Amino acid sequence: MTVKRILIANRGEIAMRIARACRELGHVSVGIWTDFEVNARHLEFCDEWVHLPGKSNKETYLNIPGILKVAKEYKIDAIHPGYGFLSENGSFAAECEKSGIVFIGPNPKAIAAMGDKATSKEFAKKAGVPVVPGSTGAVKTIEEAIKISKEIGFPILLKAVAGGGGRGMRQCFTDEDIKKNFEAVGREALASFGNGDLLVEKYIVNPHHIEVQILADKKGKVFHFFERECSIQRRHQKIIEEAPSPFIGDDEVLRKNICETAVRLAKAVDYDSAGTVEFVMGEDRKFYFLEMNTRIQVEHPITEEITGVDLIVCMIQSAFGEDLGIPSQEWIKRTGHAIECRICAEDPITMLPAPGKVTGFETNFPQGTRFDNCLYKGLNVTPDFDPMVGKLVTKGIVRDVALRKMRAALDGLFIEGLKNNIPLLKIILHEEQFNKGHYSTSYIPTVKPQEKINTEFDWMRAFQVMASIEARRMGL
Amino acid sequence: MRTYLIDNDKNEHCIDLRRTTVHSSELVEFEFSLVKDLHYSNTQCIFVRRLAGQYFVSTDNAHWKKLARQDLPTIFLNVNKVLSIYRGYKPSGIGGASDGGLVTQMPGKVVKIVAKVGDKVTKSQTLIIIEAMKMENEVKSNIDGVVKEILVKEGQALDQGIMMMTVEPQK
Repeated sequence: MTVKRILIANRGEIAMRIARACRELGHVSVGIWTDFEVNARHLEFCDEWVHLPGKSNKETYLNIPGILKVAKEYKIDAIHPGYGFLSENGSFAAECEKSGIVFIGPNPKAIAAMGDKATSKEFAKKAGVPVVPGSTGAVKTIEEAIKISKEIGFPILLKAVAGGGGRGMRQCFTDEDIKKNFEAVGREALASFGNGDLLVEKYIVNPHHIEVQILADKKGKVFHFFERECSIQRRHQKIIEEAPSPFIGDDEVLRKNICETAVRLAKAVDYDSAGTVEFVMGEDRKFYFLEMNTRIQVEHPITEEITGVDLIVCMIQSAFGEDLGIPSQEWIKRTGHAIECRICAEDPITMLPAPGKVTGFETNFPQGTRFDNCLYKGLNVTPDFDPMVGKLVTKGIVRDVALRKMRAALDGLFIEGLKNNIPLLKIILHEEQFNKGHYSTSYIPTVKPQEKINTEFDWMRAFQVMASIEARRMGL
Repeated sequence: MRTYLIDNDKNEHCIDLRRTTVHSSELVEFEFSLVKDLHYSNTQCIFVRRLAGQYFVSTDNAHWKKLARQDLPTIFLNVNKVLSIYRGYKPSGIGGASDGGLVTQMPGKVVKIVAKVGDKVTKSQTLIIIEAMKMENEVKSNIDGVVKEILVKEGQALDQGIMMMTVEPQK
């Protein structure tokens, strides 16, 4: 194997994670430093740095010509995009290929096929992957909407074709509901999106967000690494993930079915890297394809913890056309249970991002803990990036042990000065329904764990801090 | 007597250091009281001990706790609020916004200024939209009144605690 020079076109904890994988494989990692993150911790762990000038993400991490220019200048062999930024940008992958640089991710065709929600659904249907039942195109009349609803069964969702972000949709449980809402949703859609066309889709009550990790090489071998459950979400973003899914539990038939469905889809798009097929699963345990993420995901560590396979290392090997060292699917075994909590710089009650400065950072974790993070004392979390600053992962032989370790790990993580969601995570980790594994994506809106956070002023700590200031002042 | 101030959003807590007793070269006892409506309440004795350059604190001189390492001057996080502790005085220009003043709660960029100078506004009406961390946040008026001054421009990047707009209360 020859030593390759890998440019990491990302920042934060994922940049550190990729640098670690490069080191393991003996490749040279090259980090990007930008003008507003000169002190970024990932730079300490890369072998080399390149500078991308500019004050905004558009000029730096999203600047395709700029990144390709420095890549050529510094004789880069491959680019790892991480997640976010350019990771699912088909034209970036194609541009890399044109410049003779390996894009560490799937081929541009696969990205294009899965990139758009509508086309990926059509693709999935053709591959025999179940999609949420509904109308195939815009529904023009109330009668048509009722007819389709009767076919797929109530409840249904009336949805704007052009909608998104939870706007322009209404649940309907009966014919009457459709009659009542059809025109109103149409008007709303026209007003908000400039397109009044509506779709009818089956409404899945208390859905579970379950996804399957896929890994493929360039020779057509596709493996799955079992599922993850990511139903604890706020603002449609995951905050707690676990593997395996407590909802699937010990239903091995269902597990096999969902995992093999994901493999089938990956094979249909000639997938050749790490990726994730996302599904929604209803209370009736029927699952439907949601979308495919053609990149490494934030929550990949929990899969690594239960299978013992380093997905980023495999992704790099796959990109260079090397063998993954996995003889067959049967060799991939899962043991134990892993949980991940995303540590975010946000207000634990309103769950809104809260930038700030870390004035203290200490950790003391139990056995079986992994903390992928970019924190250090003095870190200034700016509003320019995503508020996630770390991912706390614990593993136990069974779910209860992983939960116990997570509670201890959260207690052993001390962040001062920066508002963070640890108080919220602690409440959820102590909450009964979550501990039983009885939760769906409606967990946060219905259980409202944020209301149980005790915000009482800690006078004792205030006195202690003042006492130490005073002691230092008097020269003690 | 030494006074401490804790800045808790728009509330200020005033704490008096009422007594200092030096027990030895490495042990000091302090007595703090919270001042509320000109009366003392919530009195607490704190022992501080210095060992190997680190400070340990105790309430009873028997059970000791070490304060987590952090920088001075001190700010500390109380669940969902970042509080500042000031010794002796409070620097001017920090916090303490009058009613009707819109102060940034977090650093961000001004996306849109919805109101104009002279506009009549009502409580919880959106006046400014700030973008921070890929999210837009609406800054709302906390009183009924008239927009008196706009101190920021669209597209401007702001730190925390910056006055953006003043609203004159309506009588």
